[in-house]
Order: sequence, then structure tokens, then C-alpha cells
Amino acid sequence: MKLLRKTIFRLILILPLSFAVLSLSAQSDPTGKSAATRTYAITNASIVQSPGNVMEGGTIVIKNGLISAVGKNVAVPDDAEVLDGTGMYVYPGFIDGMSNIAAKRPDAMPRPNNLFTPDPPNDYAGITPENHVVDQIDIGSSSIDGMRKAGFTISHTVPYGRMLPGSGALVLLADRTHADEMMLAEDVSMFTQFTGAPGAYPGNVLGIMAKWRNLYRNAVNNKQHTEMYAQDPSGLERPTQDRVTQAFFPVVARTKTVFYNTTTSLTAQRALRLQKELGFNLAVANLKEAWDLADAFKAGGAQLYMSMDIPDEPKDSKDEDKSEEVKALEVRRMEWYKKYLTQYAELQAAGVKFGFSTMGTRGNKVKTNIMTMIEHGLSADDALAALTTNPASMLGIDKVAGTLDAGKIGNMVVSTGPYFEKKSQVKYVFVDGDKYEYEVKEAKKKGDDTETDATPAAAGGNDPAVGTWAYSLETPQGSQGGDMVITKENGLYKGVLTSDDGSPDTDMNNLSFRDGTLAFDFDIDAGGQSVQVVVTGTIDGNSYEATATASVGGQSFEMTWIATKSDGQ
Amino acid sequence: MKRNILIIGLLVLAATFAQAQVQRGDVLIKNGTVLTITNGTLENTDVLVRNGKITRIAKGIRTPNGVQEIDATGKFVMPGIIDAHSHIAGSAINEGTSQVTAEVSMEDVVNPLDLSIYRALAGGVTSIHLMHGSANVIGGQNETMKLRYGSSNPDDLRFEGAPRTIKFALGENPTRGGRARGIQPQSRMGVEAMLRNSFSDAIEYREKWAAYNANKSTRKVAPEYDLRMETLVDIMAGEVLVHCHSYRADEIYMLMKVFADFGIPRLTFQHANEAYKVAPELAEFGAMASVFADWWAYKLEVYYSTAYNAAILTKNGVTTSINSDSGELIRHLFHEAAKTQKYGDLTDNEALALVTLNPAKQLGIDDRVGSLEVRKDGDIAIFDKHPLSTYAIPLMTFVDGVKYFDRATDKKDQRIFINPESSIADVQIYDAESQHRCMEGANVLSFSDLFKKK
Repeated sequence: MKLLRKTIFRLILILPLSFAVLSLSAQSDPTGKSAATRTYAITNASIVQSPGNVMEGGTIVIKNGLISAVGKNVAVPDDAEVLDGTGMYVYPGFIDGMSNIAAKRPDAMPRPNNLFTPDPPNDYAGITPENHVVDQIDIGSSSIDGMRKAGFTISHTVPYGRMLPGSGALVLLADRTHADEMMLAEDVSMFTQFTGAPGAYPGNVLGIMAKWRNLYRNAVNNKQHTEMYAQDPSGLERPTQDRVTQAFFPVVARTKTVFYNTTTSLTAQRALRLQKELGFNLAVANLKEAWDLADAFKAGGAQLYMSMDIPDEPKDSKDEDKSEEVKALEVRRMEWYKKYLTQYAELQAAGVKFGFSTMGTRGNKVKTNIMTMIEHGLSADDALAALTTNPASMLGIDKVAGTLDAGKIGNMVVSTGPYFEKKSQVKYVFVDGDKYEYEVKEAKKKGDDTETDATPAAAGGNDPAVGTWAYSLETPQGSQGGDMVITKENGLYKGVLTSDDGSPDTDMNNLSFRDGTLAFDFDIDAGGQSVQVVVTGTIDGNSYEATATASVGGQSFEMTWIATKSDGQ
Repeated sequence: MKRNILIIGLLVLAATFAQAQVQRGDVLIKNGTVLTITNGTLENTDVLVRNGKITRIAKGIRTPNGVQEIDATGKFVMPGIIDAHSHIAGSAINEGTSQVTAEVSMEDVVNPLDLSIYRALAGGVTSIHLMHGSANVIGGQNETMKLRYGSSNPDDLRFEGAPRTIKFALGENPTRGGRARGIQPQSRMGVEAMLRNSFSDAIEYREKWAAYNANKSTRKVAPEYDLRMETLVDIMAGEVLVHCHSYRADEIYMLMKVFADFGIPRLTFQHANEAYKVAPELAEFGAMASVFADWWAYKLEVYYSTAYNAAILTKNGVTTSINSDSGELIRHLFHEAAKTQKYGDLTDNEALALVTLNPAKQLGIDDRVGSLEVRKDGDIAIFDKHPLSTYAIPLMTFVDGVKYFDRATDKKDQRIFINPESSIADVQIYDAESQHRCMEGANVLSFSDLFKKK
């Protein structure tokens, strides 16, 4: 009886699922959002099939989620929605080598009592390589469309967490009703980083390096033991079933690559050091400083995914009386800024194949940053390769993605002109055969004075910080907002925060504005406990984008703080 | 068989070449007063360095072709200074989350970009002992380094072939952590118990693995691997030299008893402000001490000390060094050594050994550095006056015969890494704002004005 009950229960679970699958094609869509057809043809476009390989006046057809034909004399199917591609450029969909796109940060973990041991609970220590990112996928995440708008169609998404948060997956950046439907491939990598557990072992890079060696070497032994036991258990001790150790087995067998989140040259060298010692397959990802590591990567020992986040351009002091010392320091700072920008071209020149990671980069910065790299020597073809063919081959998906060839997944980017030119805009992105259309903004004409940036800034006596700003703060409990009113007296900034929910005004403390960065803090009362919130971010014209950090009991929470200047008198 | 050996030999050779990216130089330092440390003071003498090694010390050496010549007439040439206790050039110092962290190592966190390395070179220092912190009873392993400033590769700064060392800590630092968290150790008794328990565990671990290795069966199962225990086993085998943070005589004596019980031979006490009270016992054990010249009373357990500490230890036959434990003090360790002449009347040679040969012995690198001898490394500092003079100024510093500091060509900005998002104000040593503020309105000469040439 038990079994029968189980079977029936399973059937009940499965039934609605199969209806759901059917409904995609058969049932009418009450929201009216579903497309009339999944067959598309873009005609008379410049089709960049792969870097350096452009077909003028070509037609590309997408059917059943796949690219069904590419060519000059391709017949357009009857059921196709035809998009006139005259003047447009079609590229293979971009592939993000490592990101958190579509993943949701898990709730902060309560601090356990038994922290002060060499072996604190794995969850808190951040050692959970047996977890999978699919459990963190939020189908409604705004990061999906944010990055898709920039041209990304596949993301190697890794989970949030500490030292070993879990395995990464290849995620199609399409709108789907279930996370599973977005998966191109699950469990493709082991993600790791130098993030220690607050107040518990491993607390920093020292402990993490040692813990890594320990976990790996134990896994080598345990794997051997497990295999021996599987062959013939007789007379053998039972191998322990440790999920953390077992998660290392494919890494030890070199069938799974370790993705190390390393932003600096030194941390990358530490990851390479571990690889050299232990011998696993390594990808160094999210790297911002690689100018002296070309040889290390040329040796072919590790994959490389460069960060797409580039530093802000330093602003030299406008003080005419600045000292020679300050001038010399500014010159060197600018030299180093250039080093960050020219490294992409230099890596390419040195023959290092790399992809990109958008971790820590926002969608609307992607193109700007690529254009900056191109201005500093990276060729458009090499940039495209880093966005398409390089990650496709490194991630082992070059049979289904990376180029525009018949038979591959229907992932592509259509822009109003060559993508790698400042003026062009993304018009369509196709992911998994579905079309996403974006509004193309008319370029502002010169001499059009209906809207200029200069007017609002003048209201604050030319001080970009001074004025009334409408802010909104994204808290885990929802969004809250109000005004931040900033004034300047005798060279000192003062400010006050009002709140839309009727709470009393709060003073902005330690308010400073320097080199475009506005920072302040304020105190809030959280159930009798005063909690300080520190806000730091940059002002760009009339918008202020910042991170608000609240620290409670040794834990920090980060929230997004966005403000727009509202006074234009 | 022979062919295999040849191939292995070639592979080893290839590996050495692949690693040897470290620059080694040739230099002839002519006509200086050479303070050899091991062979007295040689007037008007030349020192020749070829390919990073000292090859001759004699009068009137002819300059070989292509070798840079440096005129040291009227100047003083000494072995590069060695700091046996430093925390510069490390990205992290403490893994303080657990009381025994023998598995962690400072070799993983070397930061070659730290500007402090250049400042140390400007004080004649050529080698440092980058130590783990003192938050835990058995801390992490340390890294012995050569200050080859200019490379961004941490491997280039390793003192290749130096023995492994590890940090231990007694007294207030580890017990403070224990009391705050309600765990062992909360007292000096707890520290001793923790040490004895750790070594007893390590013996058990060693035996488990010995039994495994002796087992001839093809179906044997390896015991759990534990990098922490592996390190403790290596300590007991004498492969890892222990450097122990300590202050009081009682705790110093305690550790010698523990080490005697477990048969651990090599031990250096760091700080050891009360070591002079147990100097004969240290000498008998063969333990060494690395101390401050005249610094104490910065917390209760260091309330009691004496500036004669180094001298008393030296006279009792304890190999003693003077260390900095500071990115500032490291620039004038020669001054610190000179203080032992005021407090204790040490000879020039004894005083200089405190910052050269003796720290080299404590780090197990005295066959390579610490004195000016043929076949030792070309790690050399040149001073304008006798380095024990208050007026001495370091002029040049060489590591492996390569010049890394030259006062004559010293640039203002010696950074080898600059964050483009950093602010200029943070870089300047004197923050312009505060400099003006503190004496605002008071119309007086500034300190630097007093010393300006008119």
C-alpha cells in the first residue's frame, strides 16, 4: 500500500507539470505575452558569423530555438516573423565566463555558538561545494534582462557564498517559468574564492590556502578508497560519505574545472600556486590585474576570464597651485590607470586567449567598458572573440554556441550598427530562439537645448553634490525612500535625510564629496540598538549610485542606494 | 637504468632553470673598511661578487671585464642586515580564528608590492623573517625572504633553500583570545596543556601513517590526511624551526621543558624580555633569543625588562639577535644594535652580529648570509660611517650582488604598484591638511624649517 501511495503521489506531482509543458505550445496564453511564432528571419543584415567573418546582405533564420539557416540565398519560412536587417549587424550571443547573473544572494546566516573550533560548521565556514547554483536561481532577477540587454545570452553563473559556495551552471538568459528550463548545463564547475568566514576558520587567505590543500589531499585518498570499496568491499573499512569530499572527486579526476574568483594579481598567483601544487584544472576568473601574468597563462596551465569592470578614470586636482609632488603623483596614477586599460590588448598580443567575467559589473557598463578597451588597443575582432568563441571553447560549448552557424542554439545580438562602435545600440537579443526587443533611443542632435546636463548642476552653485536628491534604498523588506538634502557652508558639506514613511529626519554624518565620490553615514534605531549605515557611491551628473552597508553583530549587509537630483530651480 | 637517471637529472636541471628567474649580479666593491663579522675588520679591502656570490675578499683585486666597480674609499662595507621578526610584505598576518593553525603558512601571503620592502632596503636590510601573528598558541609557518624589491612575483622574494620556521605564542596574546571566547587557553597553564596535547596528537598521527606506510597490502586504506598534524610531526623531526613569542622567564622556561620532553631541538624565543633571567638555562638548552634593544612596558607581561637584555644573553653564550617587529624600526636596526654598546659594552663585532650573523643562525641561513665570507651570498650594505655610529647613513644595499638601494639615485616615488582609484592625499607621507591644522595661527618655524640649509 505504501508503494502505491507513493506512486500516486508522484503521478499527482508529475501531471500538472506535463500540462505546463504542453501549455507552452498548445494552450492560449492568458497574459497575451507569448510570441505568435518562434520562427524568425532577419534579412539583408551584416552577419558576423564569427570574429572577422562577416557576411554582407545575409539572412539568418531561427526556428525551434535553433539557428536553422545562415546565408545569402536563404529561403524565408512561411511562418517566420521577418525582421528587416538593413543596416543592422548580427553577432553570436555573448557568453559570460563567470557571473552571479540570475542568482540570488542567500539570507545571512545566524552566527552559530560553536564557532571557535578549527572545524566550525561547514555552512557557516562557507564550505559547501556540494551545493548547486540552480537552487539560488531567481527567474525574476533583474540581472537577467540587465545583462541580456548588453548582449549576453549564456552565463556561467556561480553561487553566492564564501570559500566554496557550490557548483556553477551554464544558464540561458531567457525568460522561463522554471529555473531548470534555463539550464544549458548544470554542475559544470567548482566555484571558489578567498572569502573567509567572519570570526571562524578559515577566516582569511592564510586559512583558505591551507584548507584547500587539506580538502583536496583528503579527497584524493578518499576517492581511491571509495573506488576500491566499490570494486570489492570485503574486509575493507567503509569509506566515509562526506559530501564536501565527494564534491572534490570530479576535480581530482580533472573532469571538472575549478573557477577561482581572483580580482588581483596576487590572489591570481595564489590560485595558480594551488593548482601547481595539487594539479587540478583551473580557471582564473574576474581578474582585474593581469599585465604581469601573460607568461603564466601562456604556459596554458589555466583558463583566464578577465573582469569587465575597469577602474574609474582618475581625476587630477584642478588646483593651479598644486605642488610638483602632487603633479608627479598624478602622472604616475594616470600611467597606472592606462596599464589597467591596455592590458587587454597586451594579453591578446602575447597570445593569451581570454574570456570575460561580468561579476561586479552592471549591464549598462558593459559596452562602455569594452569601447574603452578598444580605444586602448584591443581590436574589435579580439573583443568579439573574448565575448563569444573564446568562452565557448573554454567552457566546452563551442558545438552549440559561440558562432552563428546552422544547428547552434538561437542566441544572437542584433545592433543598429557595428556593436563595437560608440553610436550603435542593441535592438534585438535572441536567447534560446526567443526574441527580446529593446527600445532604440534617438541620438541627441547637437544644438538641441531642450535638455542639457548643465542646468541642474548650476543650481547647486556648480557643486555636483549640493541640492535636493530623491533617494530610494532597497532593503530586504522592500524599498524605502525620501529626500537627501545636501548643503555646503564654509566649505563643509551638511546633509539631512527625510523619509517618505513619516519617520523623523536623520542627519547625514561624516559627509564628504571628493573625486566624484559622495560618502556619508547615518544611524538608525533598530529595536533599541543603534545601527550605523555607511553609504558610499559616485555622482554622475544627476544620478547617484551607491552601496549602503549596515553592520550588525559582526555581520554586514549591503543594500543598493540610488538617488536622483530633483531640484532644478 | 642509467639513462633514466640522466633524464631525471636533466628534468631537475630544467626545473631549476625554470624557477631561477631571480637576478644575480656581479660587483666589485673597492677599498672599503670591510666588517666581515667572522674575520674581523679589514681596512682598504675589496669585495668581489660574481653571479650573486662573494668570490674574493682581498686588497687590490683587478676589476674583471664587465663587472661594475664601486668605490668604497672611506666607507664601511658590512653584511646585509637580517631582521628575524618582521610583519612587512604580508597580505595577511594572523589566521586567529583557531588556537592551533600550524597548517597555514606566510609563504602563501607574501606581498612583493609592499613599499615597506624598499624602506627596509634603505636601512641596509637584505633579509627578513616574515612572521605569522601571535594570536594563537601554535600559529602559522613563517617565510624567510630576500628583499628583491621590484618584482610582482612573490616567488622571486623567497629565500630559496631556507629552512621552514613556525610561530608559537605564549602568555597574554593567546590567553586573551581564549578568555574572550570562553575556550582554552585562558591561562598560562592552558597554553602548556594545549602544546602538550597538540604534540601528543601529532605522535598518534605519525604512528598511524607509519603503520599505513609499513603495510604491504595492496588493499590498505590511508588514514585521514591532516596538514596541521603533518606540520607538527615535521616540527618534532626538527625540520621546522620554532620561533616563539614570549615575555616572561617562567613561560620561557616552561617551553624549554615541553620541548625537552618531546625531543624538539631547535628553538628561538622572540621578544623574550625576561630571557636574561634564564640566560644560563637558555644557553644549556641551546635555545636562542631575538629581542628588542630597549622597548618594554607596553603591556603588563612586559612590565619588567632591561636594556641590558641582549648583552646579558650574549655574555652567557646565548645566540641573540635584535629585531624590529615594525616597518619603521626596521630602517635603523644598526642603531638598535649600537644601543648594546651603551647598555652592556658589547664589542663592535658582538653588536653587529646581533643584526647579521646571529639572526642568520636563528633562521638557519648562516651558511648563506650573515657575514662577509667567500662563497656566501652577495648580500651587502655600504654605510658612509661606521654603522654603529649615530651619524651613520646607509648608502647602498645589494642582494645577490644586485643593487636594490642607492641613496645617490633614490627616486621620490618608489612604489611598484599604484591603485588608479586611490587618492593622492593618501599617498603623501605628510597629510597636507593635518600639517597645517595642528599649528594653525601659531606663527612658528616648522620642524623641517629648522634643518633647512639657508
